[in-house]
Amino acid sequence: MRVLVLHAHPDPASATSTLFQRVCDTLADSGHDVDPVDLYDLDGRPFAPALTPDERRAYHGPDPVVDPVVADQIERLRSARALVFCYPTWWFGPPAVLKGWFDRVLVPGVGFRFDERGRVRPGLTHIRRLAAITVHDRGRVVTTLAGDGGRLTIARRIRATCGWRTRLDWLALYRGDRPCGERQRRFADRVAGRLARW
Amino acid sequence: MVNAVDDRAAQGRVLVVYTHPLEDSLVAAVRDRVMAGLRAAGREAVLVDLYGEDFDPLVTASDRDGEESTADRTHDGSGSTTEPVARYRRLVRSADTLVFVHPTWWGGTPAMLKGWIERVLGGAGPGSRGVEPLRHVRRVVVVTTHGSPRWQNVLEGQAGRRLFLRGLRTVVHPLARARWIAFYGVDRSTPADRAAFLRRVERRLARL
Repeated sequence: MRVLVLHAHPDPASATSTLFQRVCDTLADSGHDVDPVDLYDLDGRPFAPALTPDERRAYHGPDPVVDPVVADQIERLRSARALVFCYPTWWFGPPAVLKGWFDRVLVPGVGFRFDERGRVRPGLTHIRRLAAITVHDRGRVVTTLAGDGGRLTIARRIRATCGWRTRLDWLALYRGDRPCGERQRRFADRVAGRLARW
Repeated sequence: MVNAVDDRAAQGRVLVVYTHPLEDSLVAAVRDRVMAGLRAAGREAVLVDLYGEDFDPLVTASDRDGEESTADRTHDGSGSTTEPVARYRRLVRSADTLVFVHPTWWGGTPAMLKGWIERVLGGAGPGSRGVEPLRHVRRVVVVTTHGSPRWQNVLEGQAGRRLFLRGLRTVVHPLARARWIAFYGVDRSTPADRAAFLRRVERRLARL
């Protein structure tokens, strides 16, 4: 199965970056066709998060894709059958660069479509499996009290556009940015164990 | 003796953070009504237009949020990208009310605004020195539009609403009040619906 793995951390020495490597290796070892995307390093340049004025103007038109970088992401997304998000949770949600990937890549005709009555219909029905691997800056209790919007964004909003039969693996490490190597290693093992069963 | 005028004078500044790429959008019209409402309330308001000011929402590995870092960056000659962040931080510090005006995309704030929160309010990225203290903020108002209907947003958890009404609440004044003024179903709305929403926005902000 072709798996698109998105990574969204600026620091190559971060726990999230280590996890990204481990995820790609694990999936490749079990025979999957892995397509790794480091959103901070697309041929040496980061993915620009903000939907541009031109893109917004074209959004509801016949061709909402303006930027070749976005067109390339769409092509890779279309040939994938599974999606893995590997990111730090900042302010209870995905970082701007990943939110920007949702805003700019999942445009009408790609991320969703409108039916004849103008209602929104799923667009990523070819995605059969989803995984989110995230390292939180805050603890579990605060995250839960704050509503854990990041989890809802992936588990409901993104999953809804894949279809409710798409399975999600949610793997989260809380207070992961603290210097505690042992916890991070155990978490990486848990992630690898789960993805090895794909 | 305390009268209404003195009460008003005692109120602090309002910082309005506006995010939309297009000037002819519904959200731009909402912004104008927000400002009109604040004027009617006699509040001193500062408007920040993230697209208009070409804000860079990307947290980078060398981001060391805060003024000290501006010096760091100038020293190593890597430019002045933290300069606007320091200015936004000063604006946040001088306000007791934060108003956010933006569309809701994919259940949350546009990436532009998410990046502004990460870089200006802090707490994000390897160089972060922690979240900017916001205990002086006593009021948070969010005015936002949704393409999809309300039931769908409720079903999908309203991540954006949680970020402001619950997430941001962990850092602002413990007794801060938060208001959510939202328009649902823009995709299938009529001009009359939109006009009614704009009137509601101005009315609500005028009572602030």
